[in-house]
Amino acid sequence: MNVNIILTCLIFFPIIIGFLGCLFPNKFFFVGVFSLLVSSVLSFLGLLNGFNESFVLVNQGGILLSFDKFSLPLIFGTSIVLLITFSLRKKYFSHYFYQISLVLFSALSICFIAKDLISIYIALELTGFCAFLLIADKNTNKSLFQSFQYLIGGGLAMLIYLIGVIQAFTYTGSFALDDLSLAPSTALCLIVAGLLTKSGIFLCGIWVPNIYTNASIQSSSILSGCVTCAGIAPISRMSQILTPISNSMIVIGVLSAILAAILAIFETDDGRTLGWSSVSQLGISILSPSYACLYVMQHGICKCLLFNTLNENSDSQIKNGLIKNNDSISYHQDLIGLITFIIAGLSIAGFPFIAGFTTKTLLKYDLPSSAQLIVSTSALLTSAIYVKLIISKLKRFRFAYYKKTPSINIKSILNQNNLILIFCILFLISTSFLRFDLFKTIYITNSLSALFIGGILYLCVMGIEKNIESSNIRKTIDIIGAPFIVAAILLANLTYFKL
Amino acid sequence: MHFGQELTSLILFFPLVVLIIIGCYGLINSKNIFNALFSLDVIDTATISLFVLIAASSGLQTPITGLRRYANYADPYPQAIILTAIVIGFATQALLSAIALRLSRSNPLLRFKDLED
Repeated sequence: MNVNIILTCLIFFPIIIGFLGCLFPNKFFFVGVFSLLVSSVLSFLGLLNGFNESFVLVNQGGILLSFDKFSLPLIFGTSIVLLITFSLRKKYFSHYFYQISLVLFSALSICFIAKDLISIYIALELTGFCAFLLIADKNTNKSLFQSFQYLIGGGLAMLIYLIGVIQAFTYTGSFALDDLSLAPSTALCLIVAGLLTKSGIFLCGIWVPNIYTNASIQSSSILSGCVTCAGIAPISRMSQILTPISNSMIVIGVLSAILAAILAIFETDDGRTLGWSSVSQLGISILSPSYACLYVMQHGICKCLLFNTLNENSDSQIKNGLIKNNDSISYHQDLIGLITFIIAGLSIAGFPFIAGFTTKTLLKYDLPSSAQLIVSTSALLTSAIYVKLIISKLKRFRFAYYKKTPSINIKSILNQNNLILIFCILFLISTSFLRFDLFKTIYITNSLSALFIGGILYLCVMGIEKNIESSNIRKTIDIIGAPFIVAAILLANLTYFKL
Repeated sequence: MHFGQELTSLILFFPLVVLIIIGCYGLINSKNIFNALFSLDVIDTATISLFVLIAASSGLQTPITGLRRYANYADPYPQAIILTAIVIGFATQALLSAIALRLSRSNPLLRFKDLED
């Protein structure tokens, strides 16, 4: 059988399972999990072997799809994020939750592999609808209003994108991504502004922290893990072809990385801090087109783990019978949650011997030497953020189990959730050894010193944080206006400044 | 003659640009959810008309070949694509209206001021 047909079927299989699952919810859950497992294993193998295959879906004039170094890591990351969320929080799922997630998976995969502007538009809109449903899933007034904001901001961004697409079409005569080199700069600005809004990079991405705090835990872990990756693959494809775009991405990336990190440090709520940190990390990722997807994949998996372990088992969960009322079980679950939180946090901060170190080093030394300074600065701020988060998590853990020493019982440690978390920790550590050549003394000391200085930086600003009122970027007008401002900045950069 | 043709095509674009500006103005200045929803629809319509106008730049004849051939067919490619965009725009409006309906139970005025705190 033809490889192309199998690959296409793998991409479209989850969407069919998602719709069938609405009719028979229990029967198709495991089929959905199986399809995610298959795609994660295949994409990981493809990533290791440098698989590169691009084909046209229907004969001449069809849709150009490409499985390469841009799409494979993102498909792997998305499927792993969904698998982690499915296995850890199945009990909390509402009626149509996993079906929406499966549809989301297909939409995101199409977004990663498509190489023409219109397929990307449709996939992004489908992603937006799924994300909207996931946010509204909590069904409180606040989350409904946030989902409204997300949809109206996303809809406007996609309209801006469409205007850019039609302008590019009048010059190039096709919708292919590769032909954009003939397009005028205004069209490029509009297209990139739309993509940036969907991927949640600074100024356009001010919806990110609001939504992460107001959505339920399973939704925010999926949103942070994969929905924000949606725009990254097209942006990195574009910036590899077009030098003006890759140059202006450095400007936008720097703004995003530094400003969002500073906002994250002064934020008092932990969920919002994670949201701003997400914006900052995505900003770093678009600096380098060739390693952006790998970096975003690692960030997504770690963020998903962070969101799943952010909150301890509360009394209300015990009351509802979701967790057995047993101190020992709850203690061990929280302890392993704490360890996972610390490992995932350190991974994003770039601690050696964890996956984050590998991707960060690859990205940093791919850049020109003048831009490496920026990555170092943002690494400093990132480590300050994660020192802050880990300290506050440790404080909460100590408060919850103050002067309690539950007995150690092997049975209470070996339940499903703990095993999955332990597996994730081992996976994060073992993947860093895939690139053994990166463990040089300079790189290791570099990252360790960045962590150390970041910790000191946090201790310095710890007192100020309480006095600054939490940033009040919650208005709809901010979300609506941001794409226009970014498009204007890009246009000014492309035509006059040429940075 | 050539200058005249370019001028007419520019004049045709003028109402669409005005429509987009009106939509953006409405979106930024709207005080409640419903106005924002309508403004988004105005921008949506303007974008669709832009596609149709550009498709019609090569000719006005419907792009279906029959027994008699015409010289001035419209470009079918953007027209086919904008059909999808119309459907997606409609879906967005439906979802937004559903949310507005749901929110109106607790906030009947649907003002942004009450909803964002």
